[in-house]
Amino acid sequence: MDLDKLRKTAAEVVSRDDVKYLIGWRPGSYGYRVAPGFVEEASAAETLIFSPLCTINLATYLTLTEKLPLPRGSAPDQRKVALMVKGCDSRAVLQLLVEKGIRRDQVLLIGCPCPGVVDTALLSLKYPETESPADLKWNGDHFLLRQDGQETAIPRLSVLAEKCRLCRYPNPVISDITLGEPVEAQLTAEDSAVAEVEAMELGARAAYWEEWFSRCLRCYACRNSCPLCYCRDCVLDRLNPTWVNRAVNFSENTAFHVARAFHLVGRCIECGECERVCPANIPLGRLNRKLAREVREQYGHEPGIDPDGKPFQAGFKPDDPEEFIL
Amino acid sequence: MSAMLLNKQKWTEFTGILSGKKVLAPVACGDRFRYAVPAEGKAFSLDFDRPLVPPKSAVFPQTETLYRFQLGKTELAAPQPGEELILLGVRPCDARAIKLVEKLFRWDVDDPYYLRRRELTTVVGLACLEPGLNCFCPSLGGGPASTEGLDLLMVDLGDSYYLEPLTDKGRSLMDLASGLLEEAGEEGLQKKEEAVRRAEEKIRRTVDTDGVPEILPDLWEHPLWQKTAAGCLGCGTCTYLCPTCHCFDIQDEIEGFEARRCRMWDSCMFEEYTLHTSGHNPRPTRRERTRNRINHKYSYFVRKFNVIACVGCGRCVNYCPVNIDLIETLREVKEAQ
Amino acid sequence: MTDHSNPYLPYIATVDDTWLETVGDRCVRSFKVTLDDNSARESWSHQPGQCAMVGLLGVGESMFCISCSPTEGKFLRFSVMRAGKVTQALHQLEAGDKLTVRGPYGNSFPMEEWKGKKILTIGGGIGQAPLRPIVEYVKANISDYAGLTMIYGARTSNDLCFKGEFEEMSRCDDLSCHLTIDVEEEGWQHNVGFVPQRLLDLNPSPENTIAITCGPPIMIRFVLENLKKLGFADEQIYTTLENRMKCGFGKCGRCNAGHLYVCKDGPVFTYAVLKNVPEAFA
Repeated sequence: MDLDKLRKTAAEVVSRDDVKYLIGWRPGSYGYRVAPGFVEEASAAETLIFSPLCTINLATYLTLTEKLPLPRGSAPDQRKVALMVKGCDSRAVLQLLVEKGIRRDQVLLIGCPCPGVVDTALLSLKYPETESPADLKWNGDHFLLRQDGQETAIPRLSVLAEKCRLCRYPNPVISDITLGEPVEAQLTAEDSAVAEVEAMELGARAAYWEEWFSRCLRCYACRNSCPLCYCRDCVLDRLNPTWVNRAVNFSENTAFHVARAFHLVGRCIECGECERVCPANIPLGRLNRKLAREVREQYGHEPGIDPDGKPFQAGFKPDDPEEFIL
Repeated sequence: MSAMLLNKQKWTEFTGILSGKKVLAPVACGDRFRYAVPAEGKAFSLDFDRPLVPPKSAVFPQTETLYRFQLGKTELAAPQPGEELILLGVRPCDARAIKLVEKLFRWDVDDPYYLRRRELTTVVGLACLEPGLNCFCPSLGGGPASTEGLDLLMVDLGDSYYLEPLTDKGRSLMDLASGLLEEAGEEGLQKKEEAVRRAEEKIRRTVDTDGVPEILPDLWEHPLWQKTAAGCLGCGTCTYLCPTCHCFDIQDEIEGFEARRCRMWDSCMFEEYTLHTSGHNPRPTRRERTRNRINHKYSYFVRKFNVIACVGCGRCVNYCPVNIDLIETLREVKEAQ
Repeated sequence: MTDHSNPYLPYIATVDDTWLETVGDRCVRSFKVTLDDNSARESWSHQPGQCAMVGLLGVGESMFCISCSPTEGKFLRFSVMRAGKVTQALHQLEAGDKLTVRGPYGNSFPMEEWKGKKILTIGGGIGQAPLRPIVEYVKANISDYAGLTMIYGARTSNDLCFKGEFEEMSRCDDLSCHLTIDVEEEGWQHNVGFVPQRLLDLNPSPENTIAITCGPPIMIRFVLENLKKLGFADEQIYTTLENRMKCGFGKCGRCNAGHLYVCKDGPVFTYAVLKNVPEAFA
């Protein structure tokens, strides 16, 4: 990716009268960290990057922004939010549009064709982070790591994020401006992680999830980082009635995760943020990808692809399978 | 009893001596460590990184029953005092945090739940000889072998552990194992000091806290809060993993006719935390909530207890999913002065 | 038997009487409550301005100001607006039902210090609940104070709490009661207009006077402004804050306004203190 072009485009975009601010990626405070960059001035576009470290799905911020009540007499700011999106991120935006969670005229999308990002945790395990921000570049079947003046070539597959190994949409499915050339879709691997859980005996599978869910801290990082968990009044926060107790134990934690997974059926665009942000490392991607695959295979539905499509759970076809109905 | 050495070859025997007692030790959960009761009959070691959840959870469990009752009845049964507990492998920063938070739980009204667990717990520390990338404990007055809050400090000297008793609880634990220990002597002390010195040198990140408690009130409307909060997801990771965060919620939970009133960790980063029933929220956005988190640790707590409620463990920096870095924020606070 | 060393364990109390103060969606209901335990009832002592944690077993606890003065008798009174989970459940209670009470919590209005002074209360809506104990306390010790002026307003006449109690006040020389509602209503014989304006119109002298205000945040803001216009010093102005609370004694963390814990350092503050706490009127 040509960073100069990215920054020039970003500077032009934030200079537009109809753009409020731009959300992109900027280098983090140390090591492999990348932070969301909120750019309001053209000059600040110089801080933006796009690299294999840009894992964060920025689409989350479209619905996360908290608005204070407007002072009497003042008009709401109707300008657009410009957003940099990878393939998976763009699917989140499209799904939000389909669900009418946002309006098309509220966003300006800068598409970034994405050859795949790294699993930052895996990368730092294999190539320890240092306190200075590192630079990582795509280079064919390798990543080039530049850190403290040293350059290391890292085999792509050894640190590629799991979701990227399964990615079918590396290019933005919707965008207003596209940076760079489209990426050729890689041959996607079989979802071995999901297959591994599916292969377990029922009891072993229950034990597997029990062990993981018992470790949940209920910090709600998975929910808050999810671009499609944007209900203003979340069932999990409800006190009256209390659907899920606040007590942290296997039973309540399971209720939490199952409720979330079900609410994402036919909506999850497999960006993997829930799993990446989980401090307890719970393999939430497996749960959500399993359900996404069921929807894909049983109903031929893929969320965040068709701008004219209907939300999966709001649609019905006469030939929908119904074997599960007892 | 003076400082002693425990040869690592006697480690299994040492853990055998503890077998009759309730022990919490760092146990691997996936690739993260947690304090847990080691599996029955299974050997455990002190070979671990920094645990994910701080051991505050041993004295201040994430969910704690205040009292039980039956629906429709008015008899309230508070839980009986629990059993004695040995908390093994505590990093000095986390032990310091338990001690700091105790000030709050002793302030004005004693909190019987925290204080009782604290009394029943023997805290065995393990010096942090391989500090992490985001450790900055010396900036907060701690260190890789700080002893505050510990009953006993252990230092890994390679083929043996150096054991330094710090309280009566620590001494009586060492008495139990006296048959396995040998005098550390001058040589042991020197080795220990050398190991700790090397550890101190490995700490990279620093925070200049000088004047921060006094500066913070003047920065109330400063744009840095908006900037810091812009990327915040509003999750509870930083607060739940913080060894000094101590805020809690109280809720009633019912199962059949059995019910309990319990308290559970809460986070000032959650919107509901300060939400009034009327719908009014005195901290309506993440800007106010982020500002409160930093102010509470670095200003309000200092005004009440004369010490910063942060021990520099680095967890909030390590685990923030969007790289909100406390060290950066504090640097900006200093620069904004 | 309650373990008094455990501050989380509440007293069990009985509702003696309950009545609606206002009607509607967010109606206010008052409860007269006595503690079941004899010795607890005898040893309980609260002052005007203090709060208590009221709960229903199996539902939860919420903090309310005690809306009666200790001069009224060995009972407690709470005036509760129906809004959330706990208050909705409380509104279902009838005489004889049980609830839990912890407290009293927080500081109180310095009634001793105010002796010899004129007392001016300025309340809006449910904000009259913490002011009512002052009014009752002064009524019971009228010779200790140089009179009481009460300004109380609400959106409509229906939204005024404690309506039945104002009649007798107009019969006493040392007491004056000024009611106001936001919009004109048929049959309403008192003032129409907002509370802050009513305060300006009445033009009370700040001399030897203490002003106490409580109500919606927007009302408080303008009342403070107008009290300053009338020449009140910051030290002469009191208010009482309310924030979400869970423990009531400085542990659970959430009720802070800046460095002040509302449950421990408050709920009663002078404007002289609060004007330096940026979060106080958030």
